[in-house]
Amino acid sequence: MIFWEIAKRNIRIHMLRSTLAMLGIVIGVVAIASMGILGNSLVATVSDSLKSVGDSVIVTPYSGGGGGMGMGGGGGSSSGSLKITDQNFQQIKRVAAPNVAIPVYQTSEHMKIGVGSDDIVASIYGLPTDDVPDLMKLQTGDYNNGNSGCLVGSTFAKDHNLKVGSRISMGTDGSKGTLRVTGIIEERGMSFDISTDNAIVVTDEWFENTYNRNKDYDEVVVKVKDGDTASVKTAIEKQLNKHKDNKIVSVTDSKATMNTIYETFGTVTTFVSAIGGISMIVAGVSIFNIMMMSVNERIKEIGIMRSIGTQKKEVMSMFIYEAAIIGVIGSIIGGILSVLAGYAISALMLGTTKYLLTVANALSVAEGVGFGIVICLACGIYPAWQAANLNPIDALRHE
Amino acid sequence: MSFRDVVKVYPLPAGDVTALDRVTFRVDRGEFISIMGPSGSGKSTLLNMMGCLDTPTSGDIYISGTRTGDMSDSELTNLRRDRIGFIFQYFNLFPLLNVIENVTFPMMLKSQKSVDPERGREVLRAVALEEPLFTHTPLELSGGQQQRVAIARALINDPDILLCDEPTGNLDSKTGAGIMDLMSELNRKGTTIIMVTHDQHIAEYSRRTIRIADGRIVA
Repeated sequence: MIFWEIAKRNIRIHMLRSTLAMLGIVIGVVAIASMGILGNSLVATVSDSLKSVGDSVIVTPYSGGGGGMGMGGGGGSSSGSLKITDQNFQQIKRVAAPNVAIPVYQTSEHMKIGVGSDDIVASIYGLPTDDVPDLMKLQTGDYNNGNSGCLVGSTFAKDHNLKVGSRISMGTDGSKGTLRVTGIIEERGMSFDISTDNAIVVTDEWFENTYNRNKDYDEVVVKVKDGDTASVKTAIEKQLNKHKDNKIVSVTDSKATMNTIYETFGTVTTFVSAIGGISMIVAGVSIFNIMMMSVNERIKEIGIMRSIGTQKKEVMSMFIYEAAIIGVIGSIIGGILSVLAGYAISALMLGTTKYLLTVANALSVAEGVGFGIVICLACGIYPAWQAANLNPIDALRHE
Repeated sequence: MSFRDVVKVYPLPAGDVTALDRVTFRVDRGEFISIMGPSGSGKSTLLNMMGCLDTPTSGDIYISGTRTGDMSDSELTNLRRDRIGFIFQYFNLFPLLNVIENVTFPMMLKSQKSVDPERGREVLRAVALEEPLFTHTPLELSGGQQQRVAIARALINDPDILLCDEPTGNLDSKTGAGIMDLMSELNRKGTTIIMVTHDQHIAEYSRRTIRIADGRIVA
């Protein structure tokens, strides 16, 4: 239609002005969409590293406060710390059935790797041999088959150059004997139950003998098979924390915790995108401005159009087209650039771009582009309406 | 077209201004009328009323038997598009469109789609514009050429009435005479022409002159 053509030509003869307005929209779209992409990629990265946690419920001794998540451990001596008694463990096991409840010993220890090497301190977990495969997978080697065998985390193995068969001298000056590495654990990333990447996993028997422990556990991990972590958590709490004033355990539901983390990321992403939204509003103001200029420059032309039989809505459409052309082109360019920006930000901040091509990111880009177009149209409506409703006689007289 | 007791009052802060005071007259099909009068006499108001750009405060205006006072803005707009052709002193072509596009613009408004440019060429030939100029933009044309394009635009939808506001006011006398010859010829072919002018020589091309002063017809 002719009005589309006029809108196009008007943009073309005011190329600089139109380009600047478009630039505003491009920046706005990039700000919104790339922030969305960054947020999505962050969530993807985190959920990827938490994936190995799976659905688990972590039970720790009640310490009066909110209770820990089972990360980290006490100092070298943990004798004074709170424990989960065997009786309590049996209760948890019953309540959690048919899910597997795994009792965990944990401490940290001095050790030496190889002759003349430096004394290091690392976390040690003691686990029942049969339960180890439920918690972790091995990169190489076998699960412990003897008392003096141990598994090491992938980061630990890499940092200290350990292989299957390497020996670790435990305790200050080897006072606690020597362990032989039988397997290297696959990277598990962040986790709520036990953090093995930088730790050593030994048998519960070795742990009990070495540290004089007798079924007083630091933590119990329940692997929930059907994913219903919430009901397992409730059941355990109901059984063990019967008295409000005398709680025995703190129970953490990995799924709920993860959801909280995702929600937090979501909030952050929304907030950052909203800041991007401000730049979009600024861009909208500039669109409004150039549309008002365009109308003011063409008052006489509008008067002529109206006098020779152009309907109000046709005049309006001409200006809406103009805003739409700027909005659509600007937003599409912005969409393309935001993918590139998302790529750059992901590569720089997360060190990986493998989370770029996802549905969530496509939605973020679509959101930015859509918002850009809507803002342009919204900011074009009032000037267009004003143009359409000029008094034709006054408009004709305008010089 | 007929005006019956048409009154137009402009309410202004300093007091109401009566631009037209009970004007009654009639224009028959095929007439060529000039409207003359001093500035501020109400000529332009009268022309705006005839062109359905303005509506009377009281009184009735009939165009081809239709009373304009009852019509909506949209209906008046369509009436302007289909029945009336406007010719202005400053030509008022669209600088963004070329000659052919300017001429066929009202046609596109009417058909709501792109139109055959051949009809535009036909009308442009009828107003004696040289063919090579058809694809130029208005700013590349002389005043006389622009006015011919404007006349072609006014004629494209075969209007009943041609309304002209000082059509030669911005042209030299020789070019103006050429335009007036064209108008006379259109009138001979049957187009009703109503022309506002203050130039006695130009008014002589018409067959009837309405003189207006202080909003009233005086002769």
